[in-house]
Amino acid sequence: MMINDIPIDDTFAEAFPMKATRLLITAHTSNWALHAAHSLTGFATSVIGCGCEAGIEQALSAAQTPDGRPGVSVLLFAMSGKELAKQIERRVGQCVLTCPSTAVFDGIDPATTSAAAVSDTASLGRGLRFFGDGWQISKVMDLGAAAGSGREKRYWRVPVMDGEFVCEETATTVKAVGGGNLILLARDADAALTAAEAAVAAMRRVPNVIMPFPGGVVRSGSKVGSKYKSASASTNDAFCPTLVGLSPRTQLDAGTGCVLEIVIDGLSDADVGHAMAAGIGAATAGGKASGLTRVSAGNYGGKLGPYHFHLRELAARLATQGS
Amino acid sequence: MITTTLRVAYAGSLRVDGSALTPAALAALPVARIERMLLPVGKESMALAELFTVTRQDDPRNSGAPAALVIEGDARRFDRIGAGSAEGTILVHGGVGDYVGFRMSGGSIDIDGDAGDFCASGMRAGRLTVHGSVGHFAAAALPGDMEGMSGGALTVHRHAGSRLADRMRRGLVLVGGDAGDFAASRLVAGTVGVAGTVGRHPAYGMRRGTVLLLRAPSRLAPTFTEGGVGFDVFWRLLTRSLTHELAPFAALQTNHVALPRRLTGDLAVDGRGEILLPR
Repeated sequence: MMINDIPIDDTFAEAFPMKATRLLITAHTSNWALHAAHSLTGFATSVIGCGCEAGIEQALSAAQTPDGRPGVSVLLFAMSGKELAKQIERRVGQCVLTCPSTAVFDGIDPATTSAAAVSDTASLGRGLRFFGDGWQISKVMDLGAAAGSGREKRYWRVPVMDGEFVCEETATTVKAVGGGNLILLARDADAALTAAEAAVAAMRRVPNVIMPFPGGVVRSGSKVGSKYKSASASTNDAFCPTLVGLSPRTQLDAGTGCVLEIVIDGLSDADVGHAMAAGIGAATAGGKASGLTRVSAGNYGGKLGPYHFHLRELAARLATQGS
Repeated sequence: MITTTLRVAYAGSLRVDGSALTPAALAALPVARIERMLLPVGKESMALAELFTVTRQDDPRNSGAPAALVIEGDARRFDRIGAGSAEGTILVHGGVGDYVGFRMSGGSIDIDGDAGDFCASGMRAGRLTVHGSVGHFAAAALPGDMEGMSGGALTVHRHAGSRLADRMRRGLVLVGGDAGDFAASRLVAGTVGVAGTVGRHPAYGMRRGTVLLLRAPSRLAPTFTEGGVGFDVFWRLLTRSLTHELAPFAALQTNHVALPRRLTGDLAVDGRGEILLPR
């Protein structure tokens, strides 16, 4: 199968269940909200070494936030609800509570904002309030309807040096999907980077997903296991251009000089599929002249996770949309 | 949806205990059984048919909707209407007696006229709206009780008597008119808003919670101190949460009312409460 004369491998991306949440960070200006969001989502590229995967989902206008200030929505993913709760509390405590003028709110509204299945709640202000050393106060309010509806939420007000840090008591966590991926093979680094950047830009327009690696792109794609006992993952030698004549598992030819991967985490498998399709479309838009030589995906033979995203099905969806 | 309508026929002077009059309880009974129900009247009891004319409507198009109870006429001799009610809707076209919504835990009560003393006392959840005025101790604790209202919302369109929200623990109380002496006294937590004037000693002994006064009182106890600024986010959330409420409070957000003056206290007790006053 080809799109714009670029071969689409007959393979699939294999993804696995994760737990996720969405946090809405607001601030006096969008710039300060971004500072907090960048800090919170820093060092959160892979659960292998960071505890969680996190990224900025989108910027929010004042009309889209609970307190009517500009903000940013971020998504955090972890392998368990317990680990996710730990990461939320630690990252919000160190990166949002500390950032001038910010407030943070639960961004999962099961009724309207996500088709993802609700899993549980994680502590947000419930633990952070103790920073107030007894001066903290709470307020139960319903921001969406008349009081007495039974949908009230608790907010904590923690005194800080610029006034108050306001945060919701808990964040809703949902069952989510992590590890969707695209592997872009190209003639050289220029071509690979151009295709990857175009794909990431298109995927960022899809709601409910993040691409957690730097710039949304990872060059150190990994395989499960290693020759060293202490390593749970190691370099994906099948896609390393310098090992094209050495690795028995190589999937490259001499015309491939650079391979980049985009990892996608989403609140549901449909979200990940939409993002992958958008990424394939954008990466291949330049045709063969762009230097992109193939589009592939990483999987572990179906043993790692229950979510299989077949590239040719996604590409066919693109063709249908195009016609 | 089953709607039971009770038209008041009782013109006596004794108090009637109407705590059995909840929408769910009446909807579960046939009209004949309802008419035979005995309600305490003074030291005696009377059959409900002697007190009300009972009619019943069943709307199968809304079969899943909670039951409704409509009371028509002057029910000011009837106390404890909706007491302990957990679901359904009560509409009263007229006034009611004391203890309306006492310890109600869900649903809604809407009263066209006035309500007596201890309205919404011990209320736990749901919504109680009084389009007229309420008596003393609205949303307050009973004598000897530790807590008054502990959840839900009480909205009074006109005036409230003294000791409004005394020992209130949680929830929202809004008064569109004036409130009497000792409004929000011994407040444990929750939000109390008064659009008109308040009597003497507002927020006396409040421990925590928010008292929002749209008109500054003539005098406040010296046990309240300046609460500073920097609570802009909370003010935004509070005003947004009131956008569906009484007009003077709903207008706080639409009119972008500036950050109010904040006083904290009562320092005679816990001192973590706040009074918000217009600047």
